Amino acid sequence: MISWKEVGRIATLLFVSSLILIPLSATVLGGFKTTGEMRVSPFGWPREWITEVYVEILRDPQFWTYLWNSLVISLLTVFLTLILGSMAAYAFAQAKFFGANFLYSYLLLGLMFPFAAAILPLFLTVRDMGILDTPWGVILPQVAFGLAFSIMFFRTFFKQMPDELFEAARVDGCGYIRFFFLFTLPLSTPILATIATFVFVQSWNNYLLPLIMLNDRDGYTWTLGAMDYRGEYSWAWNRTLAFVSATLAPAVVFFLAAQKYIVAGLTGGAVKG
Amino acid sequence: MLVSEGVAAAPPRESAFQRMMANGQLKMVLIFVPPAILIFTVFVILPMIQAGLFSPYKWSGYGPVPWALNEDTGRTFGRWIGTTNFERMMSHSAFKQSLVNTLLVIGVSIAIQLPLAMTLALMIYRSSRINTVFRLIFFLPYVMAEVATGLIFSFVLDGNYGLSRSFADLMGWEKAFFPLAEKPWAFYCILGVIVWKYFGFHMMIFIAGLQSISSEVLEAAKIDGAKTLQSVFLIKLPLLWPSITISVFYAVLGGLQVFDLVMPMTAGGPSNSSHTLVSYLYNFGFIRLNIGFGSAVGVFLFVVGVAFAFLYRNTVQRGQ
Amino acid sequence: MAEVILNNVQKRFGSVEVIPDLSLRIADGSFTVLVGPSGCGKSTLLRMIAGLEDVSGGQVTIGGEDVTGAEPDKRGIAMVFQSYALYPHMTVRQNIGFALRLAKRPKQEIKERVEEAAEILKLGPLLDRKPRQLSGGQRQRVAIGRAIVRNPKVFLFDEPLSNLDAALRTQMRVELAELHAKLGATMIYVTHDQVEAMTMADQIVIMKSGVIQQSGQPMDLYKRPGNPFVAGFIGSPKMNLLEGRVAKDREAIVFGVRPEHIKVSDEGGEWRGVVRHAEHLGSDTVVYVDAEKVGALTVRLTGEVPLRAGSPVWMTPESGNVHLFRADGSVERV
Ligand SMILES: Nc1ncnc2c1ncn2[C@@H]1O[C@H](COP(=O)(O)OP(=O)(O)OP(=O)(O)O)[C@@H](O)[C@H]1O
Ligand SMILES: [Mg+2]
Repeated sequence: MISWKEVGRIATLLFVSSLILIPLSATVLGGFKTTGEMRVSPFGWPREWITEVYVEILRDPQFWTYLWNSLVISLLTVFLTLILGSMAAYAFAQAKFFGANFLYSYLLLGLMFPFAAAILPLFLTVRDMGILDTPWGVILPQVAFGLAFSIMFFRTFFKQMPDELFEAARVDGCGYIRFFFLFTLPLSTPILATIATFVFVQSWNNYLLPLIMLNDRDGYTWTLGAMDYRGEYSWAWNRTLAFVSATLAPAVVFFLAAQKYIVAGLTGGAVKG
Repeated sequence: MLVSEGVAAAPPRESAFQRMMANGQLKMVLIFVPPAILIFTVFVILPMIQAGLFSPYKWSGYGPVPWALNEDTGRTFGRWIGTTNFERMMSHSAFKQSLVNTLLVIGVSIAIQLPLAMTLALMIYRSSRINTVFRLIFFLPYVMAEVATGLIFSFVLDGNYGLSRSFADLMGWEKAFFPLAEKPWAFYCILGVIVWKYFGFHMMIFIAGLQSISSEVLEAAKIDGAKTLQSVFLIKLPLLWPSITISVFYAVLGGLQVFDLVMPMTAGGPSNSSHTLVSYLYNFGFIRLNIGFGSAVGVFLFVVGVAFAFLYRNTVQRGQ
Repeated sequence: MAEVILNNVQKRFGSVEVIPDLSLRIADGSFTVLVGPSGCGKSTLLRMIAGLEDVSGGQVTIGGEDVTGAEPDKRGIAMVFQSYALYPHMTVRQNIGFALRLAKRPKQEIKERVEEAAEILKLGPLLDRKPRQLSGGQRQRVAIGRAIVRNPKVFLFDEPLSNLDAALRTQMRVELAELHAKLGATMIYVTHDQVEAMTMADQIVIMKSGVIQQSGQPMDLYKRPGNPFVAGFIGSPKMNLLEGRVAKDREAIVFGVRPEHIKVSDEGGEWRGVVRHAEHLGSDTVVYVDAEKVGALTVRLTGEVPLRAGSPVWMTPESGNVHLFRADGSVERV
């Protein structure tokens, strides 16, 4: 029953998978090896499982500070992007006001913007506002850059919601603002989840903005921390690999669980199982 | 910003403005829209305008703006140098190299990565448990942080340890081989990692597109006598055209902005041979606190990006 | 020429058995309609004839040739899908000509045959449009055109009219019947719609859970249903199928009588009852009665009859039109 075509397909897929999984497993396993073994067998199974490296990293408060900082920045970015983006999108979807189209196109400019182009003046702006070296120096620019795409998605979604619902609520004496918080937002969980996941991934993985805005080690995100660690322990790959694995593992599990939303965010449509 | 004619003269019937006032729409708009506009303007639009304004100055970033007067010295903070920044940039070999590299990224993304992503998407777009597993594996690199990816591959390509070591041993070379430190190799390694990291992303776009093709259409083609390849080239690819244009758009705009991967792998070296536009900007603008020069590079990046986006949307993606 | 024969055909999806064992002969040039409740395996059967679905066992023969393992395009069949399945990026002309193009026919021949098909279906002025610029009925015609142009021996239709509105459906029904008369090809047609089945078919095949319940000419099935399922499936309103005393008294398990075969009177009759609800259609009156001893009955009377809810009525089943379904599977008509 099994055709050669199917065998060829699976073989190809397994080959590509190995190109992905071998470096990743070498990374995870690397943290369990001694420096000496790293040299001899970088990709193999550890001959002897050394747990000290991982334990040391997990015991290091600095490591948790990095993760905590990343988490705070990402969550606040998600929260602000969702609230500001959905509010503006709601106004654009519900109300017809003079200049609405202009303002909407203005915001959509953000979609074609190479974000790094204005990084130096952005740095100065953040500096002059006095929020350099604080999470806000990373959060606010991230929110600003996430707004364009989230407003576009929210607006499309809100436009598809039935008008009757709003009209019924209006008859019952519910105003625009109350309606937004009592009906529109609760009914938008799929799109909220999509945008939240997407923004979170972007923020969690961001490197350039924290690199520019954060100088104080205690404020570092984990991406900065990882680079720092690499610089500090350049002689010991097992340490860097263990650090990378420890930071990557929870994120990867979360992202894979939420991959449906990420892809939906990228393609503007839902993806089936 | 809001309708204003209605207020001036008393109109015969209720004006749109008054109606908005009465039903609370105006209040909602006034509360809901400004925060987004404000934050977007302050952190996206104004900095871009400033980049344009700063680009003709030589300025270290000290002081509020380059043209303000510094009370202590009696001169402005920055010095007006006209188009010098642009000229220097254009004649700088590292810049030219970074431009070539960026174009290489875009070229490789479109010419190698997209076909690869398409081939894999065609192999696993149907729903089955095995395909879901492969999809997750192929998507894994995309969700990993660039920095982590870069670190992992600087290990893999480290001459004393990873793949490159095994390769050198295999070839029987005496000396360790450090591809990331060799001028002809460094950027090709980065290109390889870019393909590795982002093909899953494009594959997902194609899978979403393929899944939206009606299975009855494909069966109709089968009955009409289309073989596997014919159904790919005559039915699936034409119907995927919107997905392909989206993918190309992301490939170009994303390619223009590669930075995070370069830093852990080569940081632009050896001897500035592996810079991208953004890492060049970071290195020669930010690190050296050369705000005017960095702004000029930024303006260049902006013009290229926006010109592409604008042209693309109005030609290739027209009507989608 | 192109008789379709299914010999002990089976179909399993994994462990789910959709068609246990089915044999059927479809005469050359006939118009055969497959009907049955949703999920009974009609589409699956059609797709196995088309070659879109492998058979798990048995044999499919088309025109005397065993095609069990053959590719769809090698079977001499054409199929029209419920969603039309037009190629959205091709014009009507390219849609219709696609099979010929794949078969590498010369350009001139393709052109002629496409135009010939367009002629038959009155698609001439639409040839250079894309599917999205067409109405539902026009799309349906293009789908049929795509089938005609290949000169198939057998046409397969899977609920082709179900996406059309009632008026268009009636019109397309007539057109399909004409097409059948004109081409003389074998046609196999799946539908949910009784009217389509009754009006278009030479032969109706009634299926349930992958098993053929009965096949035959429409009037045959109407007059001589072989089991209560067929009796209830053909005819509208549904035949009254009574269990209990009425049936037992006559040594049957089910006593069947069609609504149009019950006489009504206000003086006397076999059963007494009270009208629960009456539908006045003008040409007919459909009356729902709660009858003593037998339970709920549907009665159809010709013309307008002034019965209202609450009216007492007497009812008598017409002799000769009562179906007694026995436990041994036999049917007696009295
Ligand atoms: N690919 C499949 N995998 C598993 N089960 C299937 C598959 N295709 C069909 N089935 C099952 O086979 C049975 C018959 O399906 P089929 O589509 O033939 O029904 P049908 O008679 O055409 O129904 P309908 O009138 O609703 O179109 C159904 O129970 C369906 O769930
Ligand atoms: Mg069906």
